[in-house]
Amino acid sequence: MNKEIADKIKGMLVERLRIPEEDLEYDSELFGEDIGLDSIDSIEIIVGIENLFGVDISGAGATREDFRSIETLTAFVEAHKED
Amino acid sequence: MPMNEKRCVITGLGLVCAIGNDTDECFESAINGRTGIADVKSFDTSNCYSHKGAEVSKTNEELAKGRYDRTTALGIKAAGEALSDAGIDPESGEASEIGVLLGSCIAGAACVEKYYNAKVNGGKGDIDDLKSMPASVIAGNVADYYKAGGITANIVNACAAGTLSVAMAIDLIRGGKGEIFLAGGCDSFSSLAYAGFHALRALAPSDCSPFNHSDGITLGEGAGILVVESYEHAVKRGAKIYCDVLGSGVSSDAYHITAPRPDGEGQMSVITRAVKNSGLKFTDIDYVNAHGTGTAKNDESEFLSLSTVFKDNKDLSVSSTKSMTGHCLGAAGAIEAVLTVKALKEGKLPPTTGYSEEDLGVLAEKSGDINFIANKPVEKEIKYAMSNSFAFGGNNASIVFAKDPNLLNLTCPKQDLYVTGVGIVSGEYDEEKKSYIAKLDSDTFKAYGVKSAFLRKLDRLSQLQLLSGLKALEDAGVTVTPENESIIGICIGTNDGPMTEIANFQKNIIRDGIDKGSAFAFPNTVYNAAGGYLSIATGIKGYNVTIANGFQSGLQSVCAASGAIMFGYESIMLASGTDECTDIDEEIYSDLGFSGEGGMTLGEGSVTCVIEKDSSASGRGAKRYAKIAGFSSARDTTGDRNNNWRLSEEALTKAISNVLKEGSIEASDVKCIYGFGNGVSELDNFEMDVYKKIFGDNIEVKLVKKDFGEARAASSSLQFAMLAKDIFEGKCENGIAVSYGTSSLYSAVLLTKA
Repeated sequence: MNKEIADKIKGMLVERLRIPEEDLEYDSELFGEDIGLDSIDSIEIIVGIENLFGVDISGAGATREDFRSIETLTAFVEAHKED
Repeated sequence: MPMNEKRCVITGLGLVCAIGNDTDECFESAINGRTGIADVKSFDTSNCYSHKGAEVSKTNEELAKGRYDRTTALGIKAAGEALSDAGIDPESGEASEIGVLLGSCIAGAACVEKYYNAKVNGGKGDIDDLKSMPASVIAGNVADYYKAGGITANIVNACAAGTLSVAMAIDLIRGGKGEIFLAGGCDSFSSLAYAGFHALRALAPSDCSPFNHSDGITLGEGAGILVVESYEHAVKRGAKIYCDVLGSGVSSDAYHITAPRPDGEGQMSVITRAVKNSGLKFTDIDYVNAHGTGTAKNDESEFLSLSTVFKDNKDLSVSSTKSMTGHCLGAAGAIEAVLTVKALKEGKLPPTTGYSEEDLGVLAEKSGDINFIANKPVEKEIKYAMSNSFAFGGNNASIVFAKDPNLLNLTCPKQDLYVTGVGIVSGEYDEEKKSYIAKLDSDTFKAYGVKSAFLRKLDRLSQLQLLSGLKALEDAGVTVTPENESIIGICIGTNDGPMTEIANFQKNIIRDGIDKGSAFAFPNTVYNAAGGYLSIATGIKGYNVTIANGFQSGLQSVCAASGAIMFGYESIMLASGTDECTDIDEEIYSDLGFSGEGGMTLGEGSVTCVIEKDSSASGRGAKRYAKIAGFSSARDTTGDRNNNWRLSEEALTKAISNVLKEGSIEASDVKCIYGFGNGVSELDNFEMDVYKKIFGDNIEVKLVKKDFGEARAASSSLQFAMLAKDIFEGKCENGIAVSYGTSSLYSAVLLTKA
C-alpha cells in the first residue's frame, strides 16, 4: 500500500466527512458497521479523490469493492493515477 | 360556531416565476404547457454537467423599489399583486392588520454570494448585503414594504416551506391570532443551491421531466403569495372569494436528511392528514398538484404514495407544474398553491410537460386509474384540489382547496396546554472567544444512544438542537414509540440558522467553482436540517416546522406548537429555540457592529420545551411545570421601516396586553418578567421603560442573557424555560417571557401555575 496516498485519503475523509481520525484505520470498512458511510458520502469521496489526485474514480469504473476501505481506494488511485 | 369550524378563504393571488410575471400570465403559460426552462444566465455553469434553470427575466429593481435581496424582491413583487388582487390598497393603510408568513429555503443566497465574494477576494463586504442574508428579515421586509402591520414569520422548511406557510395561516386564523395573512413563499436562483444539487448529482442534465424520465430536477426561482382570510373578514370588506382553503397536513419522515422514504409512509401520512383535516374522503379529491420534482427517488415514492392512498379514487387527475416553473424550492409549494387555486376556479388543469409519444405510452401503462395529465391541459369542473410538498429533512406538507366550504373534521376541543419537559443546552463564558460557548462532546450523545456515524453528519446547530431535544424528551418522560410517533411534533425557532454552513459552502464554491460543491455539506445549509435530524434521531413523525424570525423565534415556536396541537393531530410538541456561536457568527455580528465595546456578548445554545395538551399529560401522569395561559405576537410599522432593528413601544405593549387579556389577568397581578435585555443600553432602557409603564416600578425583571450571552432564539426559549421552572419550584406563581424580533415584532407568553 502506498502510505502517502493512503494518508492523503485518510486526511480527506477526516476533513470532508468529519470522521473522527481515531476511528479510522486503513482497513476500516467505510460503508459497513465500522464507519457507516452512505450514498452522499460516496459522492463526496469521488470529488475529494478527484481534487487530490486528478483521478475520476467513478468514470474509471470503480466498483463497490474499491470503496470498501482506505486500502482499496489507495490501490485504485495508484492504478489509475497518471504521473 | 365552534372556533375550529372557522372558514378560511383565498381572496387574492400573486405570482412571479419563469413562466410569467403575474398570476394570469403564469396560469396561461401553465395551461398551454409553455416551459420557463432555459440555459442559466445568473452565473457561469460551463464546468457543470447541467446548464438549465428556470429564471425570472426581471431585474431586482424591476421587482421592487429599493435595495433588497432577490428572494425578498420576488416576494415583494408577488405580494403587491396579491394585495391588489384582493382589493387592498396599502397606501391608504388598509394593510395595517395583515400578517405576512413566507416560506423560503435559501433565503438571501444572492447576498450571501455577493458578501463572501468580496470577503474571499480580500474586500470588506457590503453591510447591506450582510443585513439581507438571513431568512429572518424576509417577511418583515415584505410586510414593511406594504405597511402590513400583522404578525410575521419566515417558514424555512426547505421545499415544503411554501405549503407550510399557508397551513400556518389557517391555523393562526382559526386560533384567533389574525384575520388576514399574506401567505406563500419566495426563493431566488442561486449558485449555492445550484452547486448543492449539482454536488448531489440531483440536477437533470436537460429539462426536468417529472414522473417520466425522472433523471433530476431543474432549479427555478419565483414567488407565490395567497391572501388567506377568515370568511367573515372577507365578507365584511366585500372581497372577491376564489375558494376555501380547508385543512392541512404536516408530517416528518424520520428517515433521511435528503431522500424521501422509499415506501412513501411520510407522504401517505401527510396526504391522509390533509384529507381528514378537511373533513373529506380520498375519493373526494379531484386534482393533486404533485411535488413531482423529477428525481428518481421522489417520483418513485410519490407515485407509490398517490397510487396507494387514492386507490379507490377512479377520477383523480395529477400533474407536476415543475416541468415548466422549475423547482423553486421554498417558493415551490406556494407557486403550486396559486396555480392550484386558479385550476380549481377556472376548471382547467395544467399538464406535466416534456413527454414524447413513446413516453406517453409508458405513462399510460403505469398510471392505472390515475390520470397523470401529460403535455396537454384537461378541462374539467372540479370541487376539491390538493397541493403537496416534500422536503429535505423529511418534511411533508399538504393543503386542500375547495370550491364549496366543507364541514371541517377538527373535532379537538380547545384544551389547556402545559409545559411538561425542559431540555437546556447553554454556553459558558470563554475568555479567549469572549462569548458563551456550549460544550458538545460525543460521550454525551453516546449516552443518549446517538451513534458517531450519525453524529458526524450534523453541523453544530443540529447537534445543539438534537441534545436539547433529547434532554427535553427525557425530562418529560416521553419515549417515542410506534404508538405515539405520529402525535409528537417539532417546532424550532432560530435567528441565524445554519449560517456557518451556508457561509462555508459558499466560500468553498467561490474558491473552487460551482461544480466543486460538497455533497456532504450541502444538506446542512438548509435551515430545517436541525429539525430533520432531530426527527430522524428520535423517530418523531408528526408536525415539523422551523421558523427563522429574529431573536424572538424561540417564543414564536411555542405559539406555532400550540397551533399544531389545537388544529393538527399532535398531543405533544417540542418547541425549541436554537442558535450557534461560531467564528462565522462572531464575524457577522462584529461586521454588523453589534458585538464588541458596548455591544452584545454573543452566546449559543438550544432550549427545548415539551408542550402538551391536558388530556395527554393527564393520561400519562406527566409532571407539569406550568400552564400556558396566553401567547401573542405583535408588531407595528411606524418608525424607519428601512431599519429591521427599530424598536416599537406600541408593539411590545400590544403583545403583553394580548396575553394579559387571553389569560384574564391584570397587569398588577403579574409577578415576574423574563426579559430580553442583552446589555446594549438602548435596548435595555427601552425595555425597562415599557415594563414600568405597564406593570409599575416594582415589577421583577429577570434577564438570562447576562449569564448566558445573547444566544438569540436560544435565549428567548431559555427565558420561557426558566420561567416555567421558577413557577414549578414555587419561586413565582405566574410570569411573562418577552422577546423581540426583526422589523418590530415582539412575542410574549404568559405562564401560570399548573
